Amino acid sequence: MSEPAPHLVISAVSKRFGAATVLDRVDLTIRRGELVTLLGPSGCGKTTLLRAIAGLSPPDTGTIALAGRDVTHVPPHRRNVGVVFQSYALFPHLTVAGNVAFGLKVRGAPKAEIDRAVQRALALVKLGHLGGRRISALSGGQQQRVALARAIAVEPDVLLFDEALSALDRKLREEMQIELRRLLQDVKATAIFVTHDQDEALTMSDRVAVMNKGRIEQLAAPRELYARPASLFALNFVGLSTRIAGQVVGGQDGMVDVVTPVGRLSARGAFQLGASVIVATRPEQLRLGADHEANSASGRVRSVVFQGSRTLVDVDAGAGASLLAELSGREAEVPRVHDEVRFAWPAAETFAFAAEASP
Amino acid sequence: MTDAVLSAPVATPAPDRERLAAFGFVAPSLLITALVFVLPLALLLGVSVLDPKGGGTSAHYARLLGTPYYLGVIWNSLRLGLLTTLIAFLISYPAAFALARARGPLRSILLATLFLPLAASVIVKAFAWTILLRSDGLINTVLIAAGIIEDPIRMIFTQTALIVGAVNIFLPFMVLPIYAVVAQLDSRYAEAAATLGASPLVVFFRVILPLTLPGIVAGVALVFSLSVSAYVVPTLLIGEKYPTLATTIAKAYLLAREPGFGAAAGVVLLAIAIIVVALSALLSREPK
Ligand SMILES: Nc1ncnc2c1ncn2[C@@H]1O[C@H](COP(=O)(O)OP(=O)(O)OP(=O)(O)O)[C@@H](O)[C@H]1O
Ligand SMILES: [Mg+2]
Repeated sequence: MSEPAPHLVISAVSKRFGAATVLDRVDLTIRRGELVTLLGPSGCGKTTLLRAIAGLSPPDTGTIALAGRDVTHVPPHRRNVGVVFQSYALFPHLTVAGNVAFGLKVRGAPKAEIDRAVQRALALVKLGHLGGRRISALSGGQQQRVALARAIAVEPDVLLFDEALSALDRKLREEMQIELRRLLQDVKATAIFVTHDQDEALTMSDRVAVMNKGRIEQLAAPRELYARPASLFALNFVGLSTRIAGQVVGGQDGMVDVVTPVGRLSARGAFQLGASVIVATRPEQLRLGADHEANSASGRVRSVVFQGSRTLVDVDAGAGASLLAELSGREAEVPRVHDEVRFAWPAAETFAFAAEASP
Repeated sequence: MTDAVLSAPVATPAPDRERLAAFGFVAPSLLITALVFVLPLALLLGVSVLDPKGGGTSAHYARLLGTPYYLGVIWNSLRLGLLTTLIAFLISYPAAFALARARGPLRSILLATLFLPLAASVIVKAFAWTILLRSDGLINTVLIAAGIIEDPIRMIFTQTALIVGAVNIFLPFMVLPIYAVVAQLDSRYAEAAATLGASPLVVFFRVILPLTLPGIVAGVALVFSLSVSAYVVPTLLIGEKYPTLATTIAKAYLLAREPGFGAAAGVVLLAIAIIVVALSALLSREPK
């Protein structure tokens, strides 16, 4: 199977508001049918990038091409993008069906076709029976679905979601994440989600773009993003980790030896001798007991948090360093607070990042 | 009452009791309305159809609705109301948007220019216009002094003066309700419409206009009912040659001593205002 052609190509897009550079030469290429999440802390420029794609606030420099057409300076109503706003922005003066029909009406579609498309879109979001309702008579979850139906009904080239699920309560949000992903795959939509919720990003998307200060720090599939973070920022933003500061004292073949307060550790990375680095690993890599082939460190258990399928163990390793271990429910032995323990973890799952990039 | 509400189980509301409670809350205002509004209106209506010599009469209405002169008077009132409302709307609608967009000191200044005139009495404002528009008034004096004209332009006691004055005096009652709605308008509606394919013009007519309709309706109802029944403004700015229902009523009571006829004119004026207000309220109803 050949790689699908690029569908949305964002090249070197920059945007400033006054003195602040909100988007800093952003590059992003999305294939047809792909679901991509922009993940990042508040103020990193996610909404600004989305609005640039929608044409609601064009970039200062750079280009945006959608479905083979340069749309950088095309006004939003000639772009064929669908936007689902956080506040939904459903028209209060129209019914549910009126809202869904809006896009087709303003495009001058024939009435019969509009009715059919509205029915289809409402059926997709399981609201076929509510077409005549007023917007104010809908629950938050139903409004969310109407906003989705309204955006889907015009069959846009790309669907943009700005924190579209964040107004829903946790349980409904988790259900909607899975349902929305399935629905978008069914209709073969290309979509970009904006969120600062890492679980949502990992659940919903084929690829995640981690944004920081107006730049994309890493663009990767959720699994790879978690297992191979490209920067300290990406490591911190997605998932939990153990992080220990140290100094590089040697290295070869993409591995470095680092002296840390808890002992000498090996990690992936290439640095000059003497460089200050942060050594990190994911909690599920840590195993109780010593292993001479691997990294290891010992300390006193500070806390044990039982979370159902897993147990998180926080260990004070001395000199301000701490270890975070995740033990699966199947583990026979779980340490208790104040126990002296030793944990080991594979060097291949240990990463070194330049220390000055620390957030 | 409080006890009853608190002890009522949440799942089974007591509609009758709630309705009774609601009635309790509006009762005082109902009473006042009945005393100062319904009662005088009933009297007005009564006086307009009662013959002082006994029995009923429709003579006053016949005179009002059957003589060309009085039909002209009714038309004058209507014209004053409609023109003032229309022009005030055309000025106020964009002004309300400008006001809502303005930030910082500009916004405060604009709002002050709207609110401050409300503190001055209508008579003062109408009189101020006569000072401006008189033959020896400010505008003519300046124009003559500047050598732009030789003889004063006749401005006061023209229909132009009447409408200009009325629009100026009633303008805040149009701007404020529209501004109140526009200031609340979420810009996301227009953005959502644009991404759905609506051009700016379509966004305006299909989204902005319908969403600001409640403000427009409130402004139209206020300005129309104020200007259709205005008394001071036509009296000071145009005078005898533009008789309106309001000036006719005043004359009937004060000069001609015909309370029955004055009452009938009052009823007609009220009917016109109620019809227009009711029509505009109908327009702003939510969709089902
Ligand atoms: N119209 C604007 N004028 C001035 N500054 C703006 C404007 N819009 C956004 N900004 C600034 O640009 C930066 C990025 O904003 P943006 O809304 O893109 O962030 P975000 O990543 O969506 O954040 P959040 O998660 O809080 O929604 C912020 O510092 C914000 O204050
Ligand atoms: Mg945002």
